[in-house]
Amino acid sequence: MNHAKLVYAFVRRKPLTWSFHVLALALGVAVLTAVAALNTGLANRFDRDLAGIDLVVGAKGSPLQLILSSVFQIDAPTGNIPLSVAQTLSRNIMVRRATPLSLGDSVGGYRIVGTTPAYADLYRAGLAVGRWWNGPMQAVVGAEAARALHLAPGDTFVGEHGLSQGGEPHAATPYTVVGVLKPTGAVIDRAFLTDSTSVWKVHAHHDDGEVDPAAPREITALLITYRSPMGAVMLPRTAAAIPDVQAASPAVEMARLTRLLGTGDDVIAGFGLVLLALSALGFFVALFSAVNQRRRELALLRALGAQPKALFGLVALEAVALGLLGGCVGIGLGRAAAAVAARAIAASGPTLVLPPFGLAEIAILGGALMLSLLAALGPGLIAYRLDPVAALK
Amino acid sequence: MSPPSPDEPVLSIHGLVAGYAGKPVARLGALNLGAGGAGLLLGPSGAGKTTLLLAIAGLAKAFAGQVRVGGTDIAALPPSRADRFRGRTLGLIFQDLHLVPGLSTLDNLLLAPFAAGLPQDRARALQLLDGLGLAAQAFAPAETLSRGQAQRAAIARAMVLRPKLILADEPTASLDDEACTTVSTLLIKAAAETGAGLLIATHDQRLRARIETQAPVEPVA
Repeated sequence: MNHAKLVYAFVRRKPLTWSFHVLALALGVAVLTAVAALNTGLANRFDRDLAGIDLVVGAKGSPLQLILSSVFQIDAPTGNIPLSVAQTLSRNIMVRRATPLSLGDSVGGYRIVGTTPAYADLYRAGLAVGRWWNGPMQAVVGAEAARALHLAPGDTFVGEHGLSQGGEPHAATPYTVVGVLKPTGAVIDRAFLTDSTSVWKVHAHHDDGEVDPAAPREITALLITYRSPMGAVMLPRTAAAIPDVQAASPAVEMARLTRLLGTGDDVIAGFGLVLLALSALGFFVALFSAVNQRRRELALLRALGAQPKALFGLVALEAVALGLLGGCVGIGLGRAAAAVAARAIAASGPTLVLPPFGLAEIAILGGALMLSLLAALGPGLIAYRLDPVAALK
Repeated sequence: MSPPSPDEPVLSIHGLVAGYAGKPVARLGALNLGAGGAGLLLGPSGAGKTTLLLAIAGLAKAFAGQVRVGGTDIAALPPSRADRFRGRTLGLIFQDLHLVPGLSTLDNLLLAPFAAGLPQDRARALQLLDGLGLAAQAFAPAETLSRGQAQRAAIARAMVLRPKLILADEPTASLDDEACTTVSTLLIKAAAETGAGLLIATHDQRLRARIETQAPVEPVA
């Protein structure tokens, strides 16, 4: 005979009632768990993709679009800027590192990024196999893109015009894969890296593949890391003074985006909290009626020598056990839902790595247990104050 | 409070007035039981027998008079010690038996040491069930027991902790003559075997022939 047996005997008398309340609690916990896991996964992904980029310089347009296209590679670029502008800015004393990007073509939905090997340094992406390029029309492929398109060093491919699948192929200018990168969990995994001159060469529109020396050299964006915090004061102004050029801070734009999306998160999380509060109320009502129905059994325990606090403990134990059950089921459900959502996101965009089980889950479980205990306070007090004589007569 | 001496009667009552919720219900003039002795608390239904038993157990309020169980005045103990004393010293058998459905017969017996916070002697509980012919029902849910089996299980539960005094409330009320004889014999035998006092609250005339010590429930003046 022990507490668990007695509580189990009590709970088993009302299987439907308790299933319903535990399920309600589980759903509330699941919503909060899923939102927390996805948010953290998304924030981690953003942080990894930001990779210490302080400022992005590109053509005039929406600053958010500039950030999305050049840092996260999920929107169309705003246009191009002259290479000379990029070169001038790169030499600025405030700049520690400047990485040029030239976008415009893609392969099977993965973008071709004309850049320098410094781009891989941003994400600490080392070579898994092969080598870096030593001339134009050689490509180093991100881990995810290489896996998806089954590419290895020595393979050749043709870029398609535009950033979505099905663009006109640049059949006259095939690329050769010379290296494949190790996976990083960041945006670079989905990129085809090549020398900036490759992109110019493809777009020179000469059938013989020669570069038109008259065509002005342009790049899409310049990713800048400051040398010191002073850069944040000086560089945006310097860039803004150049005609047809804008400078956008990824941190500022992402904060803006998070605020916009955050409203949706808040609504969903609020829905989860309402579910939790309702289930706590359900616990309260169910425990309340259970204690009233058990008056004689509780009185019997008193007659057998149990103290009032032991009866309070039984009610609290019942609430906590059911709260723990609902909490664990809810965390399982929530993580499963988050995994499904992450997979859905990855099917059409960047892979989302969900954070491991951790503080968020413990905090949510703790909150669910506290709510259950709170719901048990009133009914527990009734059990505590039960008059055994009235119940036994 | 002096420690109870071995010569002390198991139960001694003088002018007990018992009630609950601030209202005196019944009076018991005088009753003394020695170890292994049995007594009847006689009165019609509704006279307040149960209330008097609960007052002896320290659950209902004693408005006047004195109750000593093994020399201890339970009403004078602080509440938590009264609960502990009740769990260790008294065995209660309720008219409604109060077996907990959903628990096995054995677990219903072990509910006594569980509630009293004492070690659970499974071997003793099983032995008691065996002695009362309930060995086959030990692991059956309590709600599957017949009335007679449940009655014996309730007696067994009162015996588990070897109480000094067994209080039984109308144990024969709904039984035919044969069952009445069986149950009363069981109770008297069980009490005698463990040297416990036995007080039976009843309106059953059939028991009067078997137990000599008798005290009537008196109305409160």
